[in-house]
Amino acid sequence: MNQRFFDRHRIAEIAVYLAFIAVVLAMPAFIDEFTLNRFSKYLVYGMLGIAIALSWGYAGILNLGQGLFFGLGAYMVATSLKLQSYTSLQQGSDTPVPDFMLWNAQPGAPTDLCCITDGSFLWLPFQAQWFGIAMAIVLPTLVAFLVGSAIFRLRISGVYVAIITLALVLLVRPLIIEFQPVTNGFNGLTDLGWLTFGGFEFDPYLVETYYVIAIPTVLVLLGARWLVATRAGLILQATRDDANRARYLGFSVAAYQVFFFSVSAAIAGFAGMLYVVASEFASPTFMDIAFSISMLVWAAVGGRRSLLGACIGAILINSISAAASETEMLQEAWKAILGLIFILGVLFLPRGLAGLGHDFIEWLPLGRRGATRPQNGNAGSEPAE
Amino acid sequence: MAESALTIDGITVSFDGFKAVDGVSMVIEDGELRVLIGANGAGKTTLMDLISGKTKSTDGTVYLFDEDITNKQEFEIARAGIGRKFQIPSVFRDLTVRENLSVAATPSPNVSRNLGFGLPADARDKLGEIIELTALGDVLSKRAGDLSHGQVQWLELGMIIVQNARVILLDEPTAGMTQGETRKTSEIINRLKGQHTILVVEHDMSFVREIAEKITVMHLGKVLAEGPIADIEANAAVRAAYLGKGGIH
Repeated sequence: MNQRFFDRHRIAEIAVYLAFIAVVLAMPAFIDEFTLNRFSKYLVYGMLGIAIALSWGYAGILNLGQGLFFGLGAYMVATSLKLQSYTSLQQGSDTPVPDFMLWNAQPGAPTDLCCITDGSFLWLPFQAQWFGIAMAIVLPTLVAFLVGSAIFRLRISGVYVAIITLALVLLVRPLIIEFQPVTNGFNGLTDLGWLTFGGFEFDPYLVETYYVIAIPTVLVLLGARWLVATRAGLILQATRDDANRARYLGFSVAAYQVFFFSVSAAIAGFAGMLYVVASEFASPTFMDIAFSISMLVWAAVGGRRSLLGACIGAILINSISAAASETEMLQEAWKAILGLIFILGVLFLPRGLAGLGHDFIEWLPLGRRGATRPQNGNAGSEPAE
Repeated sequence: MAESALTIDGITVSFDGFKAVDGVSMVIEDGELRVLIGANGAGKTTLMDLISGKTKSTDGTVYLFDEDITNKQEFEIARAGIGRKFQIPSVFRDLTVRENLSVAATPSPNVSRNLGFGLPADARDKLGEIIELTALGDVLSKRAGDLSHGQVQWLELGMIIVQNARVILLDEPTAGMTQGETRKTSEIINRLKGQHTILVVEHDMSFVREIAEKITVMHLGKVLAEGPIADIEANAAVRAAYLGKGGIH
């Protein structure tokens, strides 16, 4: 398209993407099943990093409630998997009934999904696994679309969006705990069945299951990278920089914000679903405010304007975090260290690890190509490293 | 007589009873360059706000050719064909110059139609012309936020031209510019004459003399006078209200 298409930053970016994908796909060759299962959860967090980078870095929408979409996705698929659980088939009924519903049942209620508890009929369509999987993406996307349409058409922006999304997740979490007969309240959905396709059961400790998570992560990464490189992605960044200017160029800023906010929610919902596949539970803690804030920390450390940066930031922090929590000396101190990393990152590396990589490539004495770049850097203009 | 591009009919806006623009009517012909002058508070920028949809009018209508655009949303008015340059230049600071121009040159505003790459050939050609016109060829890869003040102004001007606006509203395009920059700006504007209909708000009288054909003078929210520059400078009412009070620099 232009003469800069294959400049050093582009080449470096392609190289880093390829290296990342190669490492992710080759991982089962290097670590045992237990560690592999743990790593697959980090990949899910990496997907959340991508979702955050898309909304925060590219759209300028600071969503403090991304956990809502993650949680919705998790609960939707967990509902289906709960019905596939061995215990659900053992409640003396022809059709599966979750064990916790029996504990919550009214005296004399029939042992059937239709009416064992108030609202248990909501579980009926989830007897089909595909329905749970579809809803894990459809529901978060729909909620994001409705919420986004309401707030962005009113031109609410900046810190007010943060407050509204924060309030939203704070509102939904107690609702889930409150509706114990349908959600098993505080305990969440545990003791789930395994994802099953064509008779094959995806035991979370199988290499096959790792790829059920790793391949979608790679596809989401590439899909999101494609999306931000389209004209729509460029226009989105324009609306982030100056919403008014974009309006006076004829773009409906709200339409772009709603679209990308919904895509970000879809990715988070998808991540929630995959997390359940790896961890075999869904819990209201997914909607804890601390979890949503952690996602922002991962993205900030990795580089919120870089999809891969935010993804790697999430994987890295969670890996280090897990290692630290196993080292007795660091157990207590780890949270403080994480806080320190975040503060130092914001102060000295506002563009995160991705920005550091970008500056390193800029600094490399690589001959003539570098001469076409303006000095003093295109700070922040390169989306990814 | 040429077709009228912008027809303003009795436009009025009242802020809590204060009429910042009070029954202003003017007709700007297709391809015309009109300069709007007036002392501070005369209602020039508010008039531009009313045309471009930033402020909703309380009375009156605005037509773009045959289309009634009164009180539509900003992006609808922009799509109808009105481009606006702000007094404080506004560009996408974290995007490169090329990206800024590409966004402006994107033919369709819809999200779904923009899920592809690059621009169609005619938009690319137009982009090339504008880069040449605004002399931004050397800084295409530069972040817009790193440009000099003059370059930012030309970039914003270029974005509005490449957007294919039929009517361009320019609010003080030479504010804060050096003499050299001002001269280049007047060259750009002169080259646009005839291709676009332009309404300019300007304080700098030497700049006005360089570009103006017809001038409208506003005073206290109303049109005070309208005509060629010589007539305006000789007009006693204008001199009393504006020129004589040292409003020109």
